[in-house]
Amino acid sequence: MSAALYAARYGISHLVLESWQPGGQAALTSLIENYPGVPSVSGAKLAGLMKSQAVEAGASFVTETALLASASDEGFLVATDSGSHHHAKTLIIATGAAPAKLGVPGEDRYIGRGVSFCATCDAPFYRDKRVVVVGGGDSAVKEALHLADVARSLVLVHRRDALRAEPRLARRLVENPSCTVKWSSTLSAVTGDDHGVTGVDLNTPRGMEHLETDGVFLYVGTRPATEPFANLVELDERGAVLTRNIVETSVPGVFAAGDVTANAFRQVVTAASDGARAAWAAFEYLEDRRQS
Amino acid sequence: MKSIKGRDMKSLVEDTTKITLVDFSASWCGPCQMVHPVLEALSAEMAEQVSFYKIDVDESQEEAQAMGVRGVPTMIVFHGGREIDRQVGFREKADLKRILENLADRHLNPGKA
Repeated sequence: MSAALYAARYGISHLVLESWQPGGQAALTSLIENYPGVPSVSGAKLAGLMKSQAVEAGASFVTETALLASASDEGFLVATDSGSHHHAKTLIIATGAAPAKLGVPGEDRYIGRGVSFCATCDAPFYRDKRVVVVGGGDSAVKEALHLADVARSLVLVHRRDALRAEPRLARRLVENPSCTVKWSSTLSAVTGDDHGVTGVDLNTPRGMEHLETDGVFLYVGTRPATEPFANLVELDERGAVLTRNIVETSVPGVFAAGDVTANAFRQVVTAASDGARAAWAAFEYLEDRRQS
Repeated sequence: MKSIKGRDMKSLVEDTTKITLVDFSASWCGPCQMVHPVLEALSAEMAEQVSFYKIDVDESQEEAQAMGVRGVPTMIVFHGGREIDRQVGFREKADLKRILENLADRHLNPGKA
């Protein structure tokens, strides 16, 4: 979104291929409290504001999903799900990431019947129920706090002995009387019946443990959405785009921004910053080529 | 795509000439808003094979619960009153179209291999 805003303001002739939703992962965040200048806002609201600001500045969006990007004589070619082929002299990859799965028994079977990746979407179904949240990063803790407001009890399962989340968030969770944390524990299976989830099996320092629960929310990292670019730019073992100087990929003229990159710190503010840098780098790249 | 109440669902999904997709969604859910234009587009493209309906889970809590909906969006596909598929969460248009084409093929042209 910020790459679109900056590209429009730099007067770069551009097209934003948007895969239906503005805001991606951030749009699914219940509350964002660390975006400078905006004390407290829902992810969906902030994403909507960013999009209207970009459109106002002249950004052109089309609702198409990129399927395959390749190098061409003129630069790059992007094929999309609408059957179009778009030519461009430079590309900015800002496709984000989707929630990762654990790959344990029962997980797939109960998606939507007790297994969820989106607390903002599904929290109202767990009013006065028991829930388990897996993870220990910002997303896990933030969404656990959101769930704790409606659920009867909440157990956070974390594989380490300390939370990775922002200390301020972590403290709020640990001090919340309806939350308990299973430290150094992993989820090994989701159990249930024909109606949905009834429990989880945990691997704890004291051995296997079965916990009864009505829902399991998974925040165990993300999968970068890089399939269309796998043959174009260099990726790391997780499938994230490797970059130098934050936004430069292994291919000159191709830039990357936000959660799709292998950069360590993934926040809305860093993604916005990446987007601005990527648009600027694309602008400089086009200027260099025009002059040479 | 037509909005319906939960109580009207039962008779609508009985259809055997088409398959029927019922989208259980909510106004407060981000992915529901994302999937809505996908379903609108598909309802225009696949009108001959698929009927599309939307149910607000806040207005039809009882029916959503009876269908085992524990997250939104949940898209349940019916043929002749029987559930034949269930998709939960946002789906890309191309993926959803492929899923629906396969279901329509299998259930509307059972003679065809």
